[in-house]
Amino acid sequence: MTELYVGKSCARTDLDKVTGRAAYINDIRVPRMLYGKILYSSRPHARIKSIDISKAEKLHGVRAVLTGFNTPDVRVGFLGDQAPLKKDKVRQFRDEIAAVAATDEDIAEEALGLITVEYEDLPAVFDPIQAMQKDAPLIHELDARGKPRRNNILPLPWKLSAGDVEKARTESAFVVKDTFTTQWVHQTCMGTSGGIAEFDANSNLIFRSVTNVPFGGKDRLDMFLKNIGIAGATRVLTPFVGGSFGSKLDTDIYEFILVLLAWATKCPVKIMFSRHEEFTASPPRQPVIATVEQGCDSDGRLTFRKVDMILDNGAYTSWGATTPSVMMIPISSLYRVPNVDFQATCVYTNNIYAQAMRGYGNPQATYVVEQSMDQLAEAAGIDPMDFRSINANLPYENTPMGLKVTTCPMKECLDEVKTKLNWTATHGKRTGRGVGVASFLHVGGGARVYLSDAQGIILKVDDDGKVQVITGGTDQGQGSETIIRQMVAEATGFKPEDVTIFLGDTEVCPWDVGTHASRHAFMVGHAILLAAGEVKSKVLALASKWMANLMQQDFQKKARRDPNFKLPELDYGVLSDPENLDIQNGTVFLKSEPDNSVFRIPAARILRKAHLVGTGKGEMVTAEAFYDPPNEMLDRDGKGNLSCCYTFGAHGVEVEVDRETGQVTILNYVAAHDVGRAINPMLVKGQIYGATIMGAGYALTEEIQVNHGRVMNPNLLDYKILTAKDEIPIDAVIIEPIEPTGPFGAKGIGEPACVPSAPAIANAIYDAIGVRIKDLPVTPEKILAALKSQADDHRPR
Amino acid sequence: MRTYQYLKPTSLAEVLELLKHYGPKAKIVAGGTDVMIQWKKKLLSPDYFISLRNVPELNFISYRGDLRIGSATTHRTLELSPEIRNNFPVIRDAVSGLGSVQVRNSATIGGNLCNAAPSADTAPPMLVLDTEVKIVSADGERSVPVRDFFKGPGRTVLEPGELVRELCVPEPLPNTGMAYWKHTRRKAMDLPILGVAVLMSFGEDLKTCVKARIGLGVAAPVPMRVRAAEEFLEGKVVDEIVLNEAGEMASEQARPRSTIRGSEWYRREMIRVLVKRTGLMCQERAKGEGRS
Amino acid sequence: MKQTLRFTVNGHPVQVEVEPHWNLLRVLREELDLTGAKQGCGEGECGACTVLVNGAPVNSCIYPVLEAENKVVLTIEGLLGEKNELHPLQVAFLEKAGVQCGFCTPGMIMSAKALLDQNPAPTADEIRHALAGNMCRCTGYVQIVESVLHAADLMSRRTAQEPV
Repeated sequence: MTELYVGKSCARTDLDKVTGRAAYINDIRVPRMLYGKILYSSRPHARIKSIDISKAEKLHGVRAVLTGFNTPDVRVGFLGDQAPLKKDKVRQFRDEIAAVAATDEDIAEEALGLITVEYEDLPAVFDPIQAMQKDAPLIHELDARGKPRRNNILPLPWKLSAGDVEKARTESAFVVKDTFTTQWVHQTCMGTSGGIAEFDANSNLIFRSVTNVPFGGKDRLDMFLKNIGIAGATRVLTPFVGGSFGSKLDTDIYEFILVLLAWATKCPVKIMFSRHEEFTASPPRQPVIATVEQGCDSDGRLTFRKVDMILDNGAYTSWGATTPSVMMIPISSLYRVPNVDFQATCVYTNNIYAQAMRGYGNPQATYVVEQSMDQLAEAAGIDPMDFRSINANLPYENTPMGLKVTTCPMKECLDEVKTKLNWTATHGKRTGRGVGVASFLHVGGGARVYLSDAQGIILKVDDDGKVQVITGGTDQGQGSETIIRQMVAEATGFKPEDVTIFLGDTEVCPWDVGTHASRHAFMVGHAILLAAGEVKSKVLALASKWMANLMQQDFQKKARRDPNFKLPELDYGVLSDPENLDIQNGTVFLKSEPDNSVFRIPAARILRKAHLVGTGKGEMVTAEAFYDPPNEMLDRDGKGNLSCCYTFGAHGVEVEVDRETGQVTILNYVAAHDVGRAINPMLVKGQIYGATIMGAGYALTEEIQVNHGRVMNPNLLDYKILTAKDEIPIDAVIIEPIEPTGPFGAKGIGEPACVPSAPAIANAIYDAIGVRIKDLPVTPEKILAALKSQADDHRPR
Repeated sequence: MRTYQYLKPTSLAEVLELLKHYGPKAKIVAGGTDVMIQWKKKLLSPDYFISLRNVPELNFISYRGDLRIGSATTHRTLELSPEIRNNFPVIRDAVSGLGSVQVRNSATIGGNLCNAAPSADTAPPMLVLDTEVKIVSADGERSVPVRDFFKGPGRTVLEPGELVRELCVPEPLPNTGMAYWKHTRRKAMDLPILGVAVLMSFGEDLKTCVKARIGLGVAAPVPMRVRAAEEFLEGKVVDEIVLNEAGEMASEQARPRSTIRGSEWYRREMIRVLVKRTGLMCQERAKGEGRS
Repeated sequence: MKQTLRFTVNGHPVQVEVEPHWNLLRVLREELDLTGAKQGCGEGECGACTVLVNGAPVNSCIYPVLEAENKVVLTIEGLLGEKNELHPLQVAFLEKAGVQCGFCTPGMIMSAKALLDQNPAPTADEIRHALAGNMCRCTGYVQIVESVLHAADLMSRRTAQEPV
């Protein structure tokens, strides 16, 4: 049967967002709610000598003023290296020193102004390389277990080795080595962070959170409650979210502070971040300093790749420190390279710390690898596009990291770029116009970064013919609501408009590990297929029981009304076998005669009949599934098949560089993406466009400017995400190899398109003017400075 | 509770009376797109705001060859005005790139000039148009050429009790071309790294410059003219080489700084390049439409 | 001290007690429960708070509320038709995927409405110019422009069908 819904660009179904009904955390109020505000450190590194909250406490309307001195000293974060409210020391400008809950925001703000803190400044260090030196000031004197630390290097020695890099180097015909750096950039969700915490009478915590990991968040909050001596459990509720892009994968400090304020006041407390706080107190993307060395033989085949990285970990640890686990993917497996060596060192400094952001380390790693690839191609005298084709990943090969590649149209993606950019005619001219390319690979079928990578789902069908989907996943805006409807309709035979979705409550929804790693569509799709199969069987089984009966009832009714009506003689026996039946658009029909207008009954009637049998034998239809994918956790050596499948792609860019101003204009942009199968092509393109623009911002305009630990541009004027007028003509090309491990053949697409943008643009600039910018963002100043220095180099002596 | 009284006078006389009466306790607000943000950030805390939004005498465009603009005229009104577009395109260049439609629906040219940021987009155009700033108070009026209006970042020559009533732009000479270039990092919602306005009036041959004006924003603590470069251009047959030299002179005369928004050396470079390019644009415009 | 403010919101006359220092966004969201318009920055940068005042889009987060006296304000909640039918812009943003997380959407649609009211057949460039003050982090703006073009088309077809 041809598919009705999967593969179609169905309209989005989230009406609440276009009507203003959608309630985001900003919009939610609960009775008796107080407002919380946080006082942040005004020093980058200092001992706290005293905190005086007496005046703040007396302000009318203030219900609680908390500090590290009147709350339990409990560590949070996956390395346990910080307490929500700092007591002994501050280690960065955003250290949370005190928190206030008051009857309104203005009073809470005023109370912050009445808190006085005495500091004793300590020498600070803002450069990770300096922080690694023997005599550097220690950011953390003790580790999480209370043992003295000897240096600022984190106990997270990321390392991956395969083959023999040293030997491969000696056998290489060409070798290049260079150092690149990337900057802090911010997720810059339009909706700022916030939450509402309250305790019920049983000391259970009800937490309205913007998290993408409700169950992981619940675990962390449960642990926190236990550690502070509260015998209750957490229920996480997730409203609509104004974007995430990775920023909502950890439990942030303000969330723990909310718990403390809610407990202290025994009232619901809400904290909403201002945009300023969003930039200064919500962790950004991890910056890196990377030295990349690659070699190839005389035919241009890669022989080895060696990458050494230093990560500025800032003052505390969140997911930024784990991005090397994903960086390993492109470093070991982007293109076919047999010998690989990677290590990454995370170093404490007094700078801001980082969390997850779309791509989770892949953009940084691909930036450095793909610029180096261009350098190596040049050294070998091979066109960079051809160089990539020679080394392109192939289907059904295993990589040195142990990734089991399945479908892999990387060559097709490169070819799309080559053709559409008229590559051969344009490349290598150095006219001020140039073309550049960068490929990527990313996880496409989940990622077992925790012990589980599973998702549970429950389907229930009511007697009004509506299918209710209860899922533990969250929607960050990517359109999962719409594609869930499409997939459920396709798999159950009901109409998409008759599918409703319930998510966002850990008490009701089945367990899911989280909406990260571009996994949601893949996991929910599989879970749907499992559960929907059961729904369909049950509905058809009921149909086989009741369909004939209902049809006969109808005929009898007709006969009573119309004496001329003759009861048709039909072979009802054929209906008693569910194998002969099928369901589409909510109607059950005879498989062998799909157009037969007599043998058709709305499923709703059958379900109603099944409920209302009246003989003590009523039945209902529900189904559940817990999809646990066949992927692996990485072993101690960083190896394993992390995902069920991998997604590939290539971005090609044509730029024009204004040699007098250094400004870059993007003339053409081709984003060719392997999506396995597009459940909804329009929504897939939406992800490609959005992520590409984010990647272009990463490449050209975005940077959190940190000066001696202080964020200098914490606003939307000076932190420059692209606007509607910064148009880039993007040709989004969808390539569908139909992935056998994917639901309906699909792979994940949420992150990939922001991965190769920066190196593609940097490579294009090099082609245009012969200067290679090795850090980010690639600003007009850097280009102009490089052009001038190039001109100086060429001046006759 | 931190608050203020918000007064909505409906005539200029009323505004001036209130200004005089409340003295330093009051602050003028027009669109509020700068002032209200400054209030939120606690950079100012007056007891009274005196709104200019409801004073028709301050909201007008009068064109009879010369141009008079009420100080509380919004950028959006200027952007959509055919008279401005056809006759004073340098103003249109500036306002159409300023902020967004939402901002321009509230923000005013008077507010932009009185806020006196070195980056004020309307300042370089006003400079090259030889604008006179008409200032009033309860006690009288005076006129200040716009090139003398700015004293420092955020400071103008306005005395307490004074208000800018209107901007008076003399009729441009025949064969005049004028343009403003805002050099930014992204194409909207941006302050200029550098702002360059150029006006050149040509002889009948449309090549010889008889009058030149160059106005720069973000090139000094205040928006500035570059008299040496202007004098250099006057009397010359204008081409790219001449304009490049004028740009060099402008670059030397300017005093840009390094800030998080741009470095000093880059700003100097851009002065040279953009004076040249904006000058060429002026020449094109002068040729294209005869007058401007 | 609070003052009485009278103005029209979404076709209804309203009267509300306000502090002079409140901005229009706060009054809409907190006093009138019209939470469609959002605070994304509070500084007139992102446009998530965009509403129409006498037909003109403004950043309500910095709009002094007392200036709304006797004015006509339209928010996203006011776009639904009398029979709860979606406005063509709302239909278009769903049909062409101009909405993802939806946070910027109310402001974006209001700016687009103001544009289409003035210019029923805008080019893509004119749309981008009109939406320059509405930031979006999800869509990359491409499908937003497509949505507005589609809305313009829907509206022109609807006008063509209306009896003269």
